[in-house]
Amino acid sequence: MAHQHSPWGWSPTGRRRWVLIVLWTGHGAWVLSGPKAGGAWASFASTATRPVESAAAAWRSWRLHRAERAADLEQARAQLSALRQQVQMLEAAQMVAGPQVADDEAATRLLGLKTKVPFQTKAARVLVAPVGASFGGLILDAGADAGFTRDQGVIAPEGVVGRLWSVGATQSEVLPADAPNASIGVMLARSRATGVLQGTGSNRGEIRYLNNQEVVQPGEAVYTSGLDRVFPRGLLVGYVTEVKPGDLELQVKVALAAPLRRLPAVLILPLPSPLEAQPPLVPQIRTGGAP
Amino acid sequence: MKRALHLRPPGQRALGAAAMVLGTALLAPWPGPQSLVHVALVLGFALDPASALLTAVWAAAGGWVLEGTHRIYPHLGGTPWADMTVALLARWLLLEWPVDSLKTWMGRQAVLAGLWILLVHFAVRLAAGPHIWGWTWAWVFLSLPLWSWIIWRWQRPGGR
Repeated sequence: MAHQHSPWGWSPTGRRRWVLIVLWTGHGAWVLSGPKAGGAWASFASTATRPVESAAAAWRSWRLHRAERAADLEQARAQLSALRQQVQMLEAAQMVAGPQVADDEAATRLLGLKTKVPFQTKAARVLVAPVGASFGGLILDAGADAGFTRDQGVIAPEGVVGRLWSVGATQSEVLPADAPNASIGVMLARSRATGVLQGTGSNRGEIRYLNNQEVVQPGEAVYTSGLDRVFPRGLLVGYVTEVKPGDLELQVKVALAAPLRRLPAVLILPLPSPLEAQPPLVPQIRTGGAP
Repeated sequence: MKRALHLRPPGQRALGAAAMVLGTALLAPWPGPQSLVHVALVLGFALDPASALLTAVWAAAGGWVLEGTHRIYPHLGGTPWADMTVALLARWLLLEWPVDSLKTWMGRQAVLAGLWILLVHFAVRLAAGPHIWGWTWAWVFLSLPLWSWIIWRWQRPGGR
């Protein structure tokens, strides 16, 4: 039986085939290992693995950021807790110091007015400010002990408040300008027409004895005229809100500038009052209508 | 049934292939004629119907000599590999489909020459990077009747 050699076995033919294969593939491998091919293969491999590398980088970044976010969250929670405690402490402190702060602010404003008014005034704190009182309203914490007497004018940084109605030993009572039985000599800023302001309640009043021929416009400022010998000329009283011609006289309604029921402190004018208080020394801005 | 080729003696085949390799080396200053000798080696004188290994060796030798004489490639090996591949293909065609007509022979050689040019360029590009085409391809095609007729006479594929 003849032995048959396999063409791929260890026979001369097989060996020559294997040598040929090695020769050809070796050359091919050598060609592919060239600089350009190497670069191309590296570029191809880089391109092929780019999605995986991107995913891995994103995964690492996500884990890192998750850890950072967790740390940040814990830190933020701690800070939030501390801030809440701080806010509670501040709110409590504000509740305690609120009235004092309001008093301080009022005192500061009053002090500013006092330095601007060119005459001697005395300050007093408002103890009670009842609403709708006809005869006497605000109660001050000073009376005869501070040298107060009846009919002294009372003003605030916003404008005229009223005058002292009764004076006790240590307290005094103010008749507010919007009381029905209160009257103040006033003049209009533009026409210089004079009249008498009579209170109508609710921080409002009405100017009497103005001629129908006078030209008055809503929004016009109303100052003290000084003719009542209680207030010097030129203190702001309020602003005209409504003008209507009447049968005998002009009906002019006024919103008082000073919030009579919300005043923490006032200034008491000397008596007899000086004749003049320069208009620039009083507030010029419109503070709105009655509260 | 395959027809038996009239082989030249091994000594003559080796002598012819060696002459072509030597011609390739000596014609290095003239790339055009060198390409003519080179393609004659790859598509004709290197083909040994009796041995694929010898075919590959002679073809590779021609490629190495060509690239070695040029001394312009940073990484050699592209031309020998392409030469080996095309020579093995030509040998396989020679054995499987012998031709009787010179015209058919030239047509096949033209196709193989085109494939050889493309493969050489591709392999050199892989191995050494981009390079210019030059005009050797034109030399190869324009001289195709000459070298293919020489091979026809030498190889005697038609059985003469």
